[in-house]
Amino acid sequence: MDSSVIAMMIGVSTFLGAIALLAFLFAVKNGHFDDSKKMMNSVHFDDEEALNDAVEKEKKREKLKEKNYRPE
Amino acid sequence: MIENIKCDHCHLEFGKDVMIKDDEHYFCCGGCQGVFHLLSENGLDSFYDKAGSTKLSRPVEEFEDSITFDTPSFYDKFVSKDKDGFSEVSLIIEGIHCSACVWLNEKALGQMDGVIEAYINHTNNKAKITWSDSNVKLSQIIDMIRAIGYDAFPYDPSIQEVRADKARKDYYMRLAVAVFGSMNIMWIAVAQYAGYFTGITQEIKTILNTAEWILSTPVLFYSGWNFFKGSYYGIKNHIVNMDILVATGATLTYIYSIYITLNNSGEAYFDSVSMIITFVLIGKFLETLSKKSAADTLDVMSKNIPSEISVIENENIVLKNVNDVEIGDTIMLRLGERAVIDGILLEGESNFDESSLSGESEPILKKVGDKIVSGTTSIDGAIRYSATKDFTHSTLSNIVSLLESAIAKKPRIEKIANRLSEHFSLAILLASFATFLVWFFGGSGFEVSFMIAISVIVIACPCALALATPVASLVGFSLSLKKGILFKESAMLESMAQAEVIVFDKTGTLTNGKPSVIKHEQYENIDKKLIYSLTSSSTHPISNGVSEYLKDESNELLALNNLEQVRGRGIKASFNKDRLLGGNALFLKEHGIIVDDSGEGSHFFVAFKNTLVAKFTLKDELKDDALNSVERIKKFGLLTIILSGDREESVKEVASALGIKEYHYGLSPEQKSEFVQKLQQSKKVVMAGDGINDILALANADIAIAMGSGSDIAIEVSDVVLLNNSLVTLADSFAIARRTYSLIKQNLAISLLYNAITIPLAMMGYIIPLIAAISMSFSSLLVVGNSLRIKWKY
Repeated sequence: MDSSVIAMMIGVSTFLGAIALLAFLFAVKNGHFDDSKKMMNSVHFDDEEALNDAVEKEKKREKLKEKNYRPE
Repeated sequence: MIENIKCDHCHLEFGKDVMIKDDEHYFCCGGCQGVFHLLSENGLDSFYDKAGSTKLSRPVEEFEDSITFDTPSFYDKFVSKDKDGFSEVSLIIEGIHCSACVWLNEKALGQMDGVIEAYINHTNNKAKITWSDSNVKLSQIIDMIRAIGYDAFPYDPSIQEVRADKARKDYYMRLAVAVFGSMNIMWIAVAQYAGYFTGITQEIKTILNTAEWILSTPVLFYSGWNFFKGSYYGIKNHIVNMDILVATGATLTYIYSIYITLNNSGEAYFDSVSMIITFVLIGKFLETLSKKSAADTLDVMSKNIPSEISVIENENIVLKNVNDVEIGDTIMLRLGERAVIDGILLEGESNFDESSLSGESEPILKKVGDKIVSGTTSIDGAIRYSATKDFTHSTLSNIVSLLESAIAKKPRIEKIANRLSEHFSLAILLASFATFLVWFFGGSGFEVSFMIAISVIVIACPCALALATPVASLVGFSLSLKKGILFKESAMLESMAQAEVIVFDKTGTLTNGKPSVIKHEQYENIDKKLIYSLTSSSTHPISNGVSEYLKDESNELLALNNLEQVRGRGIKASFNKDRLLGGNALFLKEHGIIVDDSGEGSHFFVAFKNTLVAKFTLKDELKDDALNSVERIKKFGLLTIILSGDREESVKEVASALGIKEYHYGLSPEQKSEFVQKLQQSKKVVMAGDGINDILALANADIAIAMGSGSDIAIEVSDVVLLNNSLVTLADSFAIARRTYSLIKQNLAISLLYNAITIPLAMMGYIIPLIAAISMSFSSLLVVGNSLRIKWKY
């Protein structure tokens, strides 16, 4: 009984840690840390407008993509 | 007194009277005014709130035509297509000072129709722009960047850079896994060691062992993958390297520990497995962290060589790819442009800055019939010249190709730790094997003999050895950075400490590289503000020198009329209808004023109302503390030599002032590099230089040191950059390098001493797991602690 509790606790805590590790690896792989200054700098300008811009950018991309593929 | 106010765009301060008034705003120039209005029209004026009081550079008003960006040859070289069929280009944006600048560029470009994404890296100002060719042209995008006050150059994000980035990311990920695994194993190990002394049931022990087993598996096989790869290549080339020791040690320990775990008896060593891998990986990571990428060098080089130039065909100016220009073509060179093809001047005249090739700090006037050498820049005039060579045979292109080969085969001073580890690894593996044989045939069972043999490898874990060099180098590296010395690769500190000869360039390295006033003679009374206003209207080095000299006492600008620059002569202007002249003796003679221009240095005469009022004598002077610093460097036992492209007299003067016995003058860039190469055959050579004329020699030298104010290419080619251009810093860099090197040697001695004590104990079978773990960490801590001593003296 005792030992199964220990095994479970080690298992659960390691599993939780592993999730964090995987999240970190995912971020590294996707270039989250490529620009060391960006995170600190862009915080200054992080507002509603920036959020809108990001959405607009996606929309624009989709719109232009359609246009690009239009049969001519 | 006129109050100084800030320009509303660039925030630089000027006298109120010279500013352009526009409603309630003030601007220093039309460029700033233009940008300000453009931003407010496009709703981007919140830029000024974001930028705060950051001083921006004044927008450049004249640019090369952006149409070159739309040519097929440009597309071939720089533009790629992404998966959706959009075009992508990588640019270096110039003029970015703060995060608000990045915001403005991203925002302004993002608002353009057809631009899908503009991403700018905050750290290196490199931009990646994605756009749709059917909606917008690249030239329009470039025009927008220029319109808001910045400039952009294309660069080729070469495979090399991509590869370097990928390698670094790979290290991050492997290191993250290793650190995660080791840290978790360590807290489990705490329970195990506690159990070792106070008693623990075998059941719990097996659970702990199993947890460690699971955690150490990714550490060994994922994080430690490079060591397996390294061992494979080592075996293939018949070299016993450190990778083999790490890989065999870790793997054997791992297998043994699995056996213990399954067998339910004995002590498992999973903690040692992950610790060995993690520590050695950290050491390797520290080394790669500060490695410079050759990729950046090539970027700056291609930025300096325009891919297209203006050629005159049938009285029309056409853009031609430099490779298509033929001998006999008439080339047009505009003001401020750099010639990329050799030729002979046909029309016009201009002063040429040849400092990049000859080291001559004063501009040279070229007239019809004079030779134009590629790599030189026209300072004050537009000319037409006829090509006498094609691009591949021109001087500049020759230098570039020589440079590329020099970078490729640059000698590397072998690192002391590498030499050591080879013998070390082999010795440990043999000792471990011998231990096993002795114990096994001495009557102990296989299990005991194997365990003792393993403990030899574990205790000899090269953690301290692996950390000895990188940690000391890194401490030296950060210390030198504080002093304004940028080592591009921290391992260079080690190489620099072993240097035997230092070769100096003269202009810009030992001297200031620009003429400064050494004598000022005043003949008549004149308001000095007048002279200052006159000289600051020109960008000629001589008038710059005079303005610099006068700046302290009279830095106000008076309004001059009819300003006119006379090429190769001087500046003409009028003030309250009186004529003001400033220039060389020839210029004043042409206006009927006879002056005496004998004596050393260059002269700048000023005449007002047709009488001579002042004479300035300018010379390229030695840097402050040059003598002291050269003395200090000599004390380190280095041989000092000067190599210069300049005239004999000026080189000789500098050499004797500094007490440098060996000097060579009148050398071309190729001759300089030949000299360095010849010297290298017997000695390790450090080269300190700053100009394009030095880059070949710099690229060939064992260690290249560039002045921070030097040309971009020289900085890129070099291993060390002196950010404050000071020779004192140069001497400091030698001192720090030497101190670091001696500490590296101490560190290696510590780790070897540690092994000399513990390995015999392990061979005799006295090492228990706890002692092994503690002594391993202790030796690593000792090495790190010792490395920090570099800072004590400074």
